[in-house]
Amino acid sequence: MAMSPQRTVDTGANFRHPLYQVLLETPGLTVGTAALDDLLTWGLTNAMWIFPMATSCCGIEFMATAASRVDIDRMGVIVRATPRQADVMVVAGTITTKMAPRVLKLWEQMPEPKWCVAMGSCAISGDFYRNLYSVVPGVDTFMPVDVYVPGCPPNPEALMHGMLRLQEKIQRQRRGEVVVPEVNPGLMKVTQPSVPRLTEPTRSPEQTLAQERASDNPTADEESAPLEVAAGPAPQVAPLVGGDFAALLAELGVTELPADGPPVIPLAQHLELARRLKALGYRQLVTMVATHWLAGKGRKGADPAEPEHFELTTAVRTIGPGSKVAAWSVRLAPDEPVLTLSGVFAGADWQEREQFDLLGVRFAGHPDLRRLMQTENATTFPLRRDFPADAPAPPWR
Amino acid sequence: MTDFTHGALYGGGIITVIMTLVALALWGERKMAARMQSRLGPTLVGPFGLLQPVADVLKLLQKEDIVPDEADRVLFNLAPPLGAIGALAVAAVVPFSASIIGADLDAGVLYLLAIGALGVLPVFIAGWGSNNKFALLGAMRAIAQSVSYEVPLVLAALVPVILTGTMKVSAIVEYQAQHHWLIAWPFFLGVPAFVLFMLAMLAESNRIPFDIPEAESELVAGITTEYTGMKFALFYMAEYLHTLIASAVAAALFLGGWDGPFAPGLHWMAAKTLGLFAFVYWVRWTLLRFRSDQLMALCWRWLVPTGVALVLGAALWVVFVG
Repeated sequence: MAMSPQRTVDTGANFRHPLYQVLLETPGLTVGTAALDDLLTWGLTNAMWIFPMATSCCGIEFMATAASRVDIDRMGVIVRATPRQADVMVVAGTITTKMAPRVLKLWEQMPEPKWCVAMGSCAISGDFYRNLYSVVPGVDTFMPVDVYVPGCPPNPEALMHGMLRLQEKIQRQRRGEVVVPEVNPGLMKVTQPSVPRLTEPTRSPEQTLAQERASDNPTADEESAPLEVAAGPAPQVAPLVGGDFAALLAELGVTELPADGPPVIPLAQHLELARRLKALGYRQLVTMVATHWLAGKGRKGADPAEPEHFELTTAVRTIGPGSKVAAWSVRLAPDEPVLTLSGVFAGADWQEREQFDLLGVRFAGHPDLRRLMQTENATTFPLRRDFPADAPAPPWR
Repeated sequence: MTDFTHGALYGGGIITVIMTLVALALWGERKMAARMQSRLGPTLVGPFGLLQPVADVLKLLQKEDIVPDEADRVLFNLAPPLGAIGALAVAAVVPFSASIIGADLDAGVLYLLAIGALGVLPVFIAGWGSNNKFALLGAMRAIAQSVSYEVPLVLAALVPVILTGTMKVSAIVEYQAQHHWLIAWPFFLGVPAFVLFMLAMLAESNRIPFDIPEAESELVAGITTEYTGMKFALFYMAEYLHTLIASAVAAALFLGGWDGPFAPGLHWMAAKTLGLFAFVYWVRWTLLRFRSDQLMALCWRWLVPTGVALVLGAALWVVFVG
C-alpha cells in the first residue's frame, strides 16, 4: 500500500482539552492549576478504556488479561468496541499490509488524548512473519506506539505491566517531561529478523543466493525419495479419470492421460470442458490452483526445454453419495489470458481472483478481477517462483 | 420563598441524590459483575475502587469532542441531553416516601408511561443524526423493540390502576399501605403483572436479555457508536437512570413503595428500588441476548395476550370481589 511519507500522525502527547486551556488561562486559578493538573492526570490514568485491535493469538492473552486471574478491571480498564470511546489502542496480533490502512483509520477515529500499546512480537516487529510479503514489520512503521509489550504472545501479567508503564508515561508527559523511548539494546537485537533485509549492508550475496536456492524447485533427490508406506493390502485407489470424464476427454481430442496428475488439455477447450462436465452432473467446483514453473523446471518428468509457464489445475465433483471427481490442467504462458469459469461455476470467482492476486494469472471475462488477499494497489505476485523469499511488500522494505 | 424556587431546590435535591446513586450504581454494577465472573473489579482507584466513577467522569471530560463530518450536527448534539432529561423527568411522579415526591399528579401513571415512551425519541435522533450504519441499525431495532414493549408495559401498569381505582402514584402506594401490597394480594394478578412489568421495563431500557439495539457483537456500540467523551457519558447515564427510575416505579406500583415496618419509608423505598436494580444487573450478567424475531415473538405472542388477560382479570376482580 502506498502511504505518503509526508503524512504526519499526531501522537496526542501534547493534546490539551479546550476546557483545560480555559481553566489554565483564567486569572485567579493559577494557584490551583498544579493540583488541577494532578487531578486530571489522575482521571486520565485511572480510566484507560481499551480498544482491542486483536487479530490473532495475542488477542487470546488479551482476553485472559480481562478475565479472572489478572483482571485488568482492577485498575479501571474496560474494553470498548468503538474507537470513539477508547483511550488506548492495544494492537494484539499480526497486522498485514491489507489491514494496516484500516488500523490507521481506526486509530485516527479515536479521540485525543490517546495512546497505543503494541502487544506481542508481531505488532512490535512482525517477528517471524517480518519477511513475509503480506505482513507489516511492526505497527510503529505507520502509527505511533507508546508502550511495547514483548512476548509471543506476552502473558497477561506482561500486558498489565505494560498498562502500568503507560500510566507512568502519561504522568511524566503531563508533568512536562520529555519522554524519550527507552532503547533496550538486548531487546532490539531479539526483534531483529534472523535474515538481514535485502537493503541492509550486513546481508551478504551468499545469503541472497542461499535463499534463492531455498525458494527454488526441490532437487531431484528430494523428489525421487521413496515414500514410506506401511505394509498391508494395497488400498483400492479409484481411477483418477472416471468413465464419463474419459469419454468426454476423448471427444475433445485428449488421448494422453498422465499417470500421476490431471490430464493437460488444450487451452482453448478449458471453458468448453467445464461446461460439458457441469452438464454431466459435476456441479461443484472443488478448487482452482495455478502453479508457476520457470523455464526448464516444469513438474517431474517435464521437458527441460519447456519455457516458463503457468499450470492451472481445476477440480470439479458431483454432489451426493458416490461422488466422482474430475480434474484437468491447462498450460499458459505468463502473459497469456485464460477464459474465466465464473460464468459456469459461481465459486470460480474468488478462486480466480486468488490466482490472479498471488500469481498474476489473467482471467479473460472475469466480472471482478481485483486483488483478493493483498492490498489493491500491490504490485507483486508473491507465489511466483522468481519472487525472492525475503522480498517484503512495499513500502515497508 | 416562591413556589418556583422551592420546586427548583426540591427537584435539584432529588436529582442530585439520584445522580449520586447512579454513580454508585456504576461502581456497584462493575463490582457485582466482577464477583460473578470471579474477578475483583475496581480495587486500585480509591478505597475498594469507590473513586472509579469519578476517574471515569474526569477522563471523559478531558476527551476530544468529535462530531463526524457527515453527521447532522444539531440532532447529534441534541440527543444525549434529551435522553438524560427524559429519564429524569419520570422521577417527578415517583413517591420516594410519604412526603418526598416531586409532583403528585392525579394522572401520575399516565404521565410516567407517556414520558417513559418518549425515551425512544433521543435514541432515534442519535441513530439518525450520527450518519453511521451501526447507529442507524441500532436505532431501528430500538424503535421496533420499544414500541412493541410499550404495549405490555401499559397493560401491566393498568393492573394496579384498576385494582386501586386511581392513577395517582402516591394514592396507589397509600392503598397498598392500608390494604395489601399488590404483589401479595391478589397475588394471582399482582405477581404476573409485576413480572410482566419487569420484563417490559428491561426491554424498554434496552437491558440484557433485550439489549439488541446495542448488541456489541453485531453493532459495535449501537446508537452510541459515534459519541465521544461526555456525550457518551450522558447516554450511558440516561440508561442507568432509566433502569433505576423504572425500578422505583415498579417498587411503587407493586411492592408497596415506601410501606414497610420498623424503618422510615424512605429506607424501605430505597431498599426495594436498589434491590430491583441489583436484580436487573444480576439478570444482565447472567443471561444471553434474544434474537430480534424471538424478541418480537415473545412480546406479541405471549406478553401482550397475558397483559390483556390480566387487565380483564383485574376488572372482574374489582367488579365481583373487591
